[in-house]
Amino acid sequence: MRGIQLSFSNTQKLRLEKALAQLESFSSKLNSNATVIVADKIPVDEDAALKGHGTLEMGNDVVASVCGVVERVNKLVYVRPLRARYKPEIGDIIVGRVIEVAPKRWRLEINFSQDAVLMLSSMNLPDGIQRRRTAVDELNMRSIFVENDVICAEVRGFQHDGSLHLQARSQKYGKLERGKLLKIPPYLVKRRKQHFHHLDQYGVDLIFGCNGLIWVGEHIDVKDVMVEDQVNKSDPQNTHSSSLPGSSEEPTDTPLEIRQYICRIANAITVFSALGFMVNLDSIMETVTLSLSLNLGVHEMLEAEFHVRVAEQEAERRSTSKRRR
Amino acid sequence: MGSFKRKSQEFSNEDDIPPSKQLKQNDLLGADEPVTCLHDVSYPEGYVPSASTSGLPQQDSKPAKEFPFPLDPFQSEAINCINNGESVMVSAHTSAGKTVVALYAIALSLKNNQRVVYTSPIKALSNQKYREFKEEFSDVGLMTGDVTIDPNASCLVMTTEIWRSMQYKGSEVTREVAWVIFDEVHYMRDRERGVVWEESIVMAPKNSNFVFLSATVPNAKEFADWVAKVHQQPCHIVYTDYRPTPLQHYIFPSGGDGLYLVVDDKGKFREDSFQKALNALVPANEGDKKRENSKWQKGLVVGKSGENSDIFKMVKMIIQRQYDPVICFSFSKRECEFLAMQMSKMDLNNDDEKVNIETIFWSAMDMLSDDDKKLPQVSNMLPLLKRGIGVHHSGLLPILKEVIEILFQEGFIKCLFATETFSIGLNMPAKTVVFTNVRKFDGDKFRWLSSGEYIQMSGRAGRRGIDDRGICILMVDEKLEPSTAKFMLKGSADALNSAFHLSYNMLLNQIRSEDGHPENLLRNSFYQFQADRALPDLEKQAKILEEERNSIVIEEEDSLERYYNLLEQYKSLKRDVRGIVFSPKYCLPFLQPGRLVCIECTKVDVDPNFSLSEEVTWGVIVNFERVKGISEDDANKKPEDANYTVDVLTRCIVQKDEVGRKTIKVVRLKDAGEPAVVSLPLSQIDSLSSVRLVIPKDLLPSEVRENALKKVSEVLNRFSKEGMPLLHPEDDMKVQSSSYRKASSRIEALESLFEEYEIAKSPLIKEKLKVLHKKKELTSKIKSIKRTLRTSTVLAFKDELKARKRALRRLGYIKDDVVLQKGKVASEISSADELTLTELMLNGTFRNIKVEDMVSLLSCFVWQEKLQDAQKPREELGLLFAQLQDTAQQVAKVQLESKVQIDVENFVSSFRPDIMEAVYAWAKGSKFYEIMEMTPVFEGSLIRAIRRLEEVLQQLIQAAKSIGDIVLEAKFEEAVTKIKRDIVFAASLYL
Ligand SMILES: Nc1ncnc2c1ncn2[C@@H]1O[C@H](COP(=O)(O)OP(=O)(O)OP(=O)(O)O)[C@@H](O)[C@H]1O
Ligand SMILES: [Mg+2]
Repeated sequence: MRGIQLSFSNTQKLRLEKALAQLESFSSKLNSNATVIVADKIPVDEDAALKGHGTLEMGNDVVASVCGVVERVNKLVYVRPLRARYKPEIGDIIVGRVIEVAPKRWRLEINFSQDAVLMLSSMNLPDGIQRRRTAVDELNMRSIFVENDVICAEVRGFQHDGSLHLQARSQKYGKLERGKLLKIPPYLVKRRKQHFHHLDQYGVDLIFGCNGLIWVGEHIDVKDVMVEDQVNKSDPQNTHSSSLPGSSEEPTDTPLEIRQYICRIANAITVFSALGFMVNLDSIMETVTLSLSLNLGVHEMLEAEFHVRVAEQEAERRSTSKRRR
Repeated sequence: MGSFKRKSQEFSNEDDIPPSKQLKQNDLLGADEPVTCLHDVSYPEGYVPSASTSGLPQQDSKPAKEFPFPLDPFQSEAINCINNGESVMVSAHTSAGKTVVALYAIALSLKNNQRVVYTSPIKALSNQKYREFKEEFSDVGLMTGDVTIDPNASCLVMTTEIWRSMQYKGSEVTREVAWVIFDEVHYMRDRERGVVWEESIVMAPKNSNFVFLSATVPNAKEFADWVAKVHQQPCHIVYTDYRPTPLQHYIFPSGGDGLYLVVDDKGKFREDSFQKALNALVPANEGDKKRENSKWQKGLVVGKSGENSDIFKMVKMIIQRQYDPVICFSFSKRECEFLAMQMSKMDLNNDDEKVNIETIFWSAMDMLSDDDKKLPQVSNMLPLLKRGIGVHHSGLLPILKEVIEILFQEGFIKCLFATETFSIGLNMPAKTVVFTNVRKFDGDKFRWLSSGEYIQMSGRAGRRGIDDRGICILMVDEKLEPSTAKFMLKGSADALNSAFHLSYNMLLNQIRSEDGHPENLLRNSFYQFQADRALPDLEKQAKILEEERNSIVIEEEDSLERYYNLLEQYKSLKRDVRGIVFSPKYCLPFLQPGRLVCIECTKVDVDPNFSLSEEVTWGVIVNFERVKGISEDDANKKPEDANYTVDVLTRCIVQKDEVGRKTIKVVRLKDAGEPAVVSLPLSQIDSLSSVRLVIPKDLLPSEVRENALKKVSEVLNRFSKEGMPLLHPEDDMKVQSSSYRKASSRIEALESLFEEYEIAKSPLIKEKLKVLHKKKELTSKIKSIKRTLRTSTVLAFKDELKARKRALRRLGYIKDDVVLQKGKVASEISSADELTLTELMLNGTFRNIKVEDMVSLLSCFVWQEKLQDAQKPREELGLLFAQLQDTAQQVAKVQLESKVQIDVENFVSSFRPDIMEAVYAWAKGSKFYEIMEMTPVFEGSLIRAIRRLEEVLQQLIQAAKSIGDIVLEAKFEEAVTKIKRDIVFAASLYL
């Protein structure tokens, strides 16, 4: 039962099994025989084949170096790992937690086999001015991020020394506050065009980090860089004082309603991940709507019955979309 | 909404701007006011400039950099903008001193601890600027495809392509750069590479400022408006067409032996002297013989070579008059070399200079291996250089090119033969510039030089602070209308127009980044901006025309229109018939001298003629001539297909207008006018008579011509009753064509119809028809405007974007706007066709072939030129090439099926196998002279191809990384080490 630690009643168990079996029937048609485990031989027709990620050449054989599904693109074979740790790709949007403030860089835990590095020079300065980083900036690093801050960034790539570098291209990246961080298996997050979502109706921001860390938090308006810039220019005296961290206006508390939405969305994701379903915006939103229509309290979403309902809903959704195709 | 645009802010609140600021007036011939410049500002919509701008603290502080000379107004104007922290577009002539502005921006950035990026279109220029800036500032780095020096420096010099890819990759430079300088930004109109500028400017960091340096462009304001809009910041325009050293323009007529001043240093065009120059042209008849044996190098050699050639005579004259150093521009590499060859008898240097040249030359060549030193190009060049003569074009070894540049700058080269590339960016002025030709081959035909090109190249004339004036000499070898000459010499600069186009690499990179959208890029492109801007104008135009059309009211419009259509039909049939009868095939045999010919009179008014017959007159044929074609293969055309003109002696009115343009009007014999020989197109013949007269050979004296015309009149009188006997098309001229017969019977039928029209009898019929004609013209104009309106209201390239995305989906590069494995591979490849190369790689082609074979195969991606007698690649390589062609074919087919406009054949044949063998040998370790013996190409071209190949390999290494194939990655690495050696990758002398 997918390792779910809940006590189901017998009927619930049956219903869940039925829904899951139905879901299984949709997916099992694809690549069922292409799954491999470590050291399995992968059949390739010719030696012209390209051996991609997750494969190793041993003599004349190609073997899998991870457990997963063999994928082929033209002559390229690679193994798409199942339930693996997160494996970063350039351009991935990730959420991570600062574990160290080091010279000119922050170290982040991002659910990968090594820590990631965010260079001071890889993110915009708080004052928005384009300039080289100075020793003063370095001293002020702690005013930007300190240990245990949760931040969001983009994977820039591996440097020559093998370290993984991140970057924050624009204002929408950076520190995440007033919200909840969730950790789910990374393989449940699919790479998409959009990973940032602003859920207007709930006043909530939702970020699906490709590394399985998911942020649900109060919505923050990303300041329009250009407008800010104009203000700076026309008002040189004020620039410094207004943009100094800390002196910004007194933080107000997040309204209770929004906090409840945050938890509701977070729980929906938790249920999804407990059931082993891929998370995506639409199904999470449906789940939230379902919980609201059932008049469930936030905590009740984590009970067995709701799990079953979600599984049934997902089975229903997928079968209708199958039929439509 | 507050969409007001404050143009050209009141200057009153910007006291710091020097009084010399003046809006430039009509600049017709007014070179008298030399130091003016035009300053304007573009604000983004809704932007409210704050009043305190001029009171910025920077104003009081010291300038970031001071210069050893007093600044020109345009320079201080531009520097002011930079000091105020606002972007500026500087548009000024070659050598005007735009670099000063760049230097200031760099100094300011360094002072403020900000990074600054300087981009230029050409690697060689980047190398030189790197050196120049390094001497000045020291904290300078360089990144071109070939070299990377100190990439962490504060000031980075790079090519625009590198800057583009840094932005896609999100390098940290993009977060630290305060100023981005785009030098030679007019390169944006380059058909192939121009789009890189648009991408780079659109994607540039939002909080940085820009300095654009450009040649004079008439629409600098439009460009600045665009920048202001895209970056939501003000952008200044500083424009000047002032030349620090005034120019004099001369003509050297081919075959003649003197210079004629046609535009003086005040900018005045000298009519008389222009005519004299043309008269001194060796007349065509005498040139005939020469013309034949030198077909398309006409004029340059005119049959004579060496000391008798025009070029030799001219250079000699230049030296005698001490107009040296001189740059002679020509438009092909071969021509450049050929001309230099004619100078073999000329020695412009003394012994001291020779020794110096030899020292400089060999110390530069020192880095070459002994074998490479023996390359013919190297050893042949030295004797030439020692005599003070140089050659500079892209076919030279890069190192030779550089040594020649250095020698030229040191004044050791007195006469340099160069191609157009020498006119871009390098600061290498001469006293004199010679245009060895006034026509240029632009890929499919010969055309006149454009005034923009003329401006750019002539800008090399006149060294600032040394010469009090620069000299431009135009070698003219054919009759040239004064208007053409004027347009070329005094015309305006070329406008800066977008050359935007889509590429797969661009789309993939855009889709790949989280906030990138190809649609956004399109919407922000200069292309879209220009299209949008044209809209209101067009709409207004259409409206005015519609009003005008609706105001025209015609009685009995329907029947008039029917009559009108009938007339049109009749006339077009007549034209058809004449077209057949007087096609060269039938009429050439009858165009003998002396035959009387009936020709159309020149129309007096531009309105179309609505009578049934045209006004005609008579004359006598003197000769006929084939019109000189503009393209080379014209010579191979069959005589029937070529164009002819017939020279006819008849009565004309010859007039000269105020610019000295002659207009000749054919009038009736009885009218006042002079007897003259005019060249007429065959289409102007109305009919040929069977009568022939004997005409004197020499028609130069006016009396002779008058007499001849008298005879014509006599003949006409004699036949006045029965009408002139004409050659019958079928009986006499043997016109055998069914379409002729069909058309003539239709004409007869129509003629009878005219009778039926009552309206035709109206006395005002002609006027009425004219009005109707006007109305019809208006309608068709409106239609065409509406058509352009329709196409430009939609997002430019929208359909193509759709089609290309479709192709990417079908090939499996993207899915749901997410870039897949293959797409990631292709997004790394920007120096070769990304789709074909990706497919080839993923099909495993590179996996099990030898490294040398692979390199050889990749050479087809970097070589487009078709070589005359290139060596055929051996079988193994040939097979690989066939595989490449198959892949290309498939890729092209998918694109075609996805509705991308592509010519499959052309696409497939754009991959050339011509240097496969040479590159194979190079990868195998051959010496450079050995591979040169295998391919009939210029050394420089081959080197450029191999360097580009290395670029492609670097990109492939990244691509292999992204799919995780370590073996392949290692193979590409190995390939790099095999080709990256010796003279091909010799470091630049500037570094
Ligand atoms: N105000 C000035 N007074 C005297 N000399 C100047 C002045 N400004 C620039 N120069 C000199 O003029 C020469 C040409 O300048 P520069 O190379 O900047 O021209 P440019 O405008 O960049 O031309 P191009 O279009 O070829 O790039 C340089 O040697 C420079 O030192
Ligand atoms: Mg310049």
